[in-house]
Amino acid sequence: MVKSSLVRQALILAALALVPGFGEAIYFRDKISWQSPVPASEMVTVAQARAWGDNAIWIDARPDAEFASDHVPGAVSLNEDRWNELLPQVLAVWSPEKKVVVYCSSLSCNASREVARRLRKEAQLPNVFVLKGGWEEWLRSRK
Amino acid sequence: MAQVAQMKMFWPIFWPVFAAILAAIAIIVLAVSKRLTFWRIVDLIVGGIFIYAGAIKALDPVQFANDIDNYKILPWTIGVGLAFYLPWLEMLCGLALIFRLFHRGAFAILTALISIFLVATIAAKLRGLDITCGCFGHASQHWNFSAHLAVDLAILAALLALWLSTRAVPARGSDR
Repeated sequence: MVKSSLVRQALILAALALVPGFGEAIYFRDKISWQSPVPASEMVTVAQARAWGDNAIWIDARPDAEFASDHVPGAVSLNEDRWNELLPQVLAVWSPEKKVVVYCSSLSCNASREVARRLRKEAQLPNVFVLKGGWEEWLRSRK
Repeated sequence: MAQVAQMKMFWPIFWPVFAAILAAIAIIVLAVSKRLTFWRIVDLIVGGIFIYAGAIKALDPVQFANDIDNYKILPWTIGVGLAFYLPWLEMLCGLALIFRLFHRGAFAILTALISIFLVATIAAKLRGLDITCGCFGHASQHWNFSAHLAVDLAILAALLALWLSTRAVPARGSDR
């Protein structure tokens, strides 16, 4: 009896939570992609980013040690650990016509999209893109 | 600057200490008291914590979806679905604790949620993942692993203590 009451109550609560959940999903439908963490419009391939030439600012979102060991030529380091410290050097090289390409280690890392998100939201920068495949893809394209 | 540094040092310490004190009080009083008023206060505190945690995440579901994805356990699509759903479930269960309606159901759900979250946090740590979120969404991004663990364990302890207390204190909407 107690067990069935517990299950019934849990099911009712779980079902009730679906209503506002659906509502919020509809409200935020344009702000998030259900297919991929980064909408296709905010991703860029190595070839596309290279084609931008000097018009692109490369931002390395990996930890300091990995940046120090190697990075995309001309890239500026900006990671979340030292965000406030490193952001000014990004803003110093940024100008409105430039495109910002953020990368981290690989396809599965999150640092690049988190840094890209903060650049858009907190630093209010337009044209911020995440490099598809990250550093690994860059290395592969060099071979 | 010094003030900011102080705040950065203060918050990661504050929450685990606060949660540990809360859990310790709950467990000690569980052993010595079966008084209704005390358990109502614990209900309010634990319910309030879940409402707060849910509200923070419901305000920024995009960030919460990214936080879930950090754990690398679920496919992105499922994570997005959960990011819209879980905060409301937490808030609803928090309200259920406070108003003692569907009390048992809320306990079952919240205990399951916090247990799954604990396992996921430990698994992420063992896999070397850098987890930047906790049960308070991105607001707890500066917590370290032990702070996450302390808070989660404290909440779980408080929930279990409350669950045990319902044997002595009948709830509205309960069959007992």
